[in-house]
Amino acid sequence: MLLAFIFVPLLGAAIMPIIRKIWAKGSTWIMTLVSFYLVVTTGWIAYQNFLSSQKLVLTEWLLGQKLALSVDGLSLIALAAIGLVSLVTAIYSAGYSLDPDRRPGYNALLLLIVAGMNGLVMSTDLFSLYVFLEIVSLVAYILIAYQNDVEGLEGSFKYFMLSSVATVFLLLGTTLLFAITGSVSFIDLAAGIKSGNIIVQLGFVSVIFAFLVKAGMIPFHAWLPDAYTAAPSPVSILLAGIVTKICGVYTLMRVVLAVFGFTKSFSLMLLLIGAISVVLGAFLAFGQKNFKRMLAFSSISQIGYMMMGFATGSPLGLIGAAFHFFNHAVFKSLLFINAGAVEQATGTRNFDELGGLAGKMPVTGVTSIIGMLSTAGIPPLAGFWSKLIIIIALWQGGYHSYALIAVFASVITLGYLLSLQHSVFFGKVKQGLEEVHEVKPVFYWPAIIMASITVCCGIFFWFIIPKLILPVSSLLGSMLK
Amino acid sequence: MNNFFGIDFITVILVICIGLYTLLLAKNMIRMLIGYELMTKGVTLAFISAGNANGRIALSQTLVITMIVVEVVSIATALAIVMLIQKKNHSLNIRKLTNLKG
Repeated sequence: MLLAFIFVPLLGAAIMPIIRKIWAKGSTWIMTLVSFYLVVTTGWIAYQNFLSSQKLVLTEWLLGQKLALSVDGLSLIALAAIGLVSLVTAIYSAGYSLDPDRRPGYNALLLLIVAGMNGLVMSTDLFSLYVFLEIVSLVAYILIAYQNDVEGLEGSFKYFMLSSVATVFLLLGTTLLFAITGSVSFIDLAAGIKSGNIIVQLGFVSVIFAFLVKAGMIPFHAWLPDAYTAAPSPVSILLAGIVTKICGVYTLMRVVLAVFGFTKSFSLMLLLIGAISVVLGAFLAFGQKNFKRMLAFSSISQIGYMMMGFATGSPLGLIGAAFHFFNHAVFKSLLFINAGAVEQATGTRNFDELGGLAGKMPVTGVTSIIGMLSTAGIPPLAGFWSKLIIIIALWQGGYHSYALIAVFASVITLGYLLSLQHSVFFGKVKQGLEEVHEVKPVFYWPAIIMASITVCCGIFFWFIIPKLILPVSSLLGSMLK
Repeated sequence: MNNFFGIDFITVILVICIGLYTLLLAKNMIRMLIGYELMTKGVTLAFISAGNANGRIALSQTLVITMIVVEVVSIATALAIVMLIQKKNHSLNIRKLTNLKG
């Protein structure tokens, strides 16, 4: 059952060369069907194991008890986010203009990255985590440079350089922990390491550094805006929505929860880096003139929220971080869909050349307002609840100043997103934009799907938080024992 | 734990530092990739010596083989990207790669 999450996308990618010869248009259908299958299977697993019973961990052993795949509350949220974002990316790419001969290859790469991410969230040892992380990053480099333009290649090369350094440090940390414990699986590592040992501490620092670079936290963020801006629109939806969060935030959460556990100094360091990312990311977003670039800096700021929530180390903070993880996947991919739609309709992403599009593109305008309000944390949208939980967790943990920083940054977020709305959708129609029409349905349906998920998660939070997000907090208990 | 691990590990740190130094200071993109390769070689050595130190040499060899395969794929991808940049920019200098700013 769990193996299907990796093998169905891989199978889809493997048959793409044959599809290319016999039915080139079918590749998009296969991509859409596979991602739809992933969404349905995730929903089925949630229904079977998390709603009806309280069984919290689902484990599948492979290769004669050597390798395990496991799904728990946190993985399930990540799997749901991966399925949803890959589904809207598949629909969006169907309308995106690509060379028809290269489209099956493009879809094969999308399926590979989905398979890699699914494997990443289910892996139970540090080494298979590394292998899946490399699969995801490699496919991401190729996809960013897919249009063969100078900007895409530059963004791809920058991403490669920084994330390869991160990979080396992840491996170095793995090596140090392996030298101490003689194993790479999370359970053996957690049992074998003794805190206070200098080698364990060095390994811990290396691994955490690697994940902070992969997540694009502020001192290590240089690659992130370039990669997001340079990528083709559907790829930037996937990258911003899910790839960097899975590669950086999810992996960090998993490794800390399963192996290292929280210490006071680690919490303080992560809080500080999170707070810097939240505030500086928001301020840097203010100065941007490019639609996608502003959203990229906004992404950095939102990742900071997840890190701050997680850093508290309390069940409430973990719930907030996990819920914000899911919400961010939904609303950030929604905003990137809107950015792509605006670019399709007008041919530019520059704020100076845009204006007054709300009347011309009503669906894009309305959905972008929903995404923006959710990002800024306005009730009753989903982003409000996750930010509220994070802020309450910070306050309860005794980090009052950090809670105030989080509230303050939320106001700045609203500020820069309002300036985005003002310069793109409201105001007078700029010269040369009189002939702009709403984009094709294939471009705005993904936005409608994501906007309705945001609204539903916000209104039915009383159902979603206790039933689907609360199982996450049990991870903390299993870690402590 | 065997006490050779300490000596090996100093070598590993040296190799990784040389690689990082190359990566940070090189202007040529191919040289940057060579720096990255050096760093990964250092980590490979660390894995083997760690396996030797704790007696799990078979496991560490398995992991190292996988690691080498992954590295070959990633360096091939990176070289393809560098080649395409060279075709567009007619230069391998990283300082001339400044289309994205802000």
